[in-house]
Amino acid sequence: MIWSIWKKEIQSYFSSPLAYVLIGLFSLITGVMFFNLLVTYSDGIQALPPEMSQQVSFVEEVVLRLFANINFLFLFFIPLITMKLFSEERRLDTLDLYWLSPVREWQLVIAKGLAAFFLIVAMLFVTILYPLIIWGIGLKDFSLLSTAYLSVLLNASCYISLGLFFSSLSGNQIIAALLSILGVMFLWMITWGGHLNSNYMVAEIFTYIGITSHFERILRGLIGTQDIIYYLSFLFLFSVLTVKSLGRRNW
Amino acid sequence: MVNKDKILVVDGVSKEYPGRSAVTDISFEVTKGSIHGFLGPNGAGKSTTMKMIAGLIPSTSGTITLHGEKVDPLNLELKNAVGFLPENPPLYMDMKVEDYLKYVARLHGMKNISQQTEKVMTELSLLEVRKRLIGNLSKGFKQRVGLAQAIIYEAPFLILDEPTNGLDPQTVFELREFIKRLSLEKTILFSSHVLSEVEQICDHITIIHNGRIRATGDLHEIHRKFKQGLVITLGIAIDETMPDLSRFGNYHTTHVTDLGGERQYHVVFEDDKDCRAEVGRFLISEGFHLYTMQVESPELEDIFLHLTEQKT
Repeated sequence: MIWSIWKKEIQSYFSSPLAYVLIGLFSLITGVMFFNLLVTYSDGIQALPPEMSQQVSFVEEVVLRLFANINFLFLFFIPLITMKLFSEERRLDTLDLYWLSPVREWQLVIAKGLAAFFLIVAMLFVTILYPLIIWGIGLKDFSLLSTAYLSVLLNASCYISLGLFFSSLSGNQIIAALLSILGVMFLWMITWGGHLNSNYMVAEIFTYIGITSHFERILRGLIGTQDIIYYLSFLFLFSVLTVKSLGRRNW
Repeated sequence: MVNKDKILVVDGVSKEYPGRSAVTDISFEVTKGSIHGFLGPNGAGKSTTMKMIAGLIPSTSGTITLHGEKVDPLNLELKNAVGFLPENPPLYMDMKVEDYLKYVARLHGMKNISQQTEKVMTELSLLEVRKRLIGNLSKGFKQRVGLAQAIIYEAPFLILDEPTNGLDPQTVFELREFIKRLSLEKTILFSSHVLSEVEQICDHITIIHNGRIRATGDLHEIHRKFKQGLVITLGIAIDETMPDLSRFGNYHTTHVTDLGGERQYHVVFEDDKDCRAEVGRFLISEGFHLYTMQVESPELEDIFLHLTEQKT
């Protein structure tokens, strides 16, 4: 069942120009970013005396920054992908098709979430060119690149689950997208709130709830159990909330 | 005890929305193998009732039993037992007709999907548009696709909410014939506000008004039960006012129709004694221009109007 719905969603993405426009735009922006980071790095290196230039890390200045920027781009790209998933169906009454069939709410939520995730993977696939260039430069660090990709994919899955939830709340796509953008920004701001708070416990809690600290740790290859628990519970919580908001009994 | 002939039993069902009541304490039954007409003016509660029976929305109180099982939006067992064509069919405009129907069949866990899709498309004359996007189809074809999604998984009970509404006469005729053929093997609950259509194809009816059931049962029995005495159509000039006819017995006027310079009054006398000659003489002696004088057999329309004009 999940497979059938997933396939239909993928076909729906690629039957409209939206998927192509998003993938094209994403590659263009990340390409420009990568180029800028490389130029800034090499200019900076040349401007520094040789003994200091060794201390400037290529990984820090180019690779990690590139993936942090990709995470920033998701703030706008993912709500554009998720906004229509439920709100359009709600507006057009097509959700009835599922409620008339033996499909369960969670199957629908997982299928739609996986379809949006597939589109993100397709977008990231284009960026595989940059690691190849980095590889060509001589940084043959597979584990660094794989955790960098893992970090953005984990963040993307959280943003998708958030986007799906807001899409299930409203019949208006624009409102769904705006709420998702605000939701993701809020996730970032909680971490900043943690940094600003002088109380140690409060600061720790804020930092844990915010997504940024987990993202940065995984981006640097420091995957801990607490991060895995954080991502899994986030996905679970918002999937359950989406299932509840779609709930057949709510009408 | 469950009566096996009753495929659907609606018992004391109410549906409340915040601040308003959509249907109140409705009860009716649908017999196996019948086409049951569900009539009522707009906003009477037809669609709400049909959605509750289809298991799309829960009732606030009362029970709906289908095939002896209680209908509930969470009861997945019944999902393959009911086919529903809502007023606004759940169609994906960006899908091709054939792909959409196969998708619906897959959602219902059908096995022989290609064969079944082919059969349904043939029956509903959809073969010529099978590769076209649903969004680009005419209203008539969209309605056929909507009907196809309701029947593709071979549910024994069909709910059709105004299936012929807003379609051209040719499509209406074809769909009506198709529904009649369907009724040979399925039980159908069919809503419409075209009363002549209901009279043609339904054998049982339920009339709902302001969220309450006004009449329900066999069409002929309802005719007998609501036989209202003598029904006469009287046509006088449009600028004349129908005088009081109570000297001929208790009566009421169900509706008035204007035909050119003539205004026709549909008058129902409680007593079915034929008083046409006296009425005719009276009108002419009073100087009225009597254009039409015709006895009508009480039609569904009269019964319907009579029942839906009553105060709640």
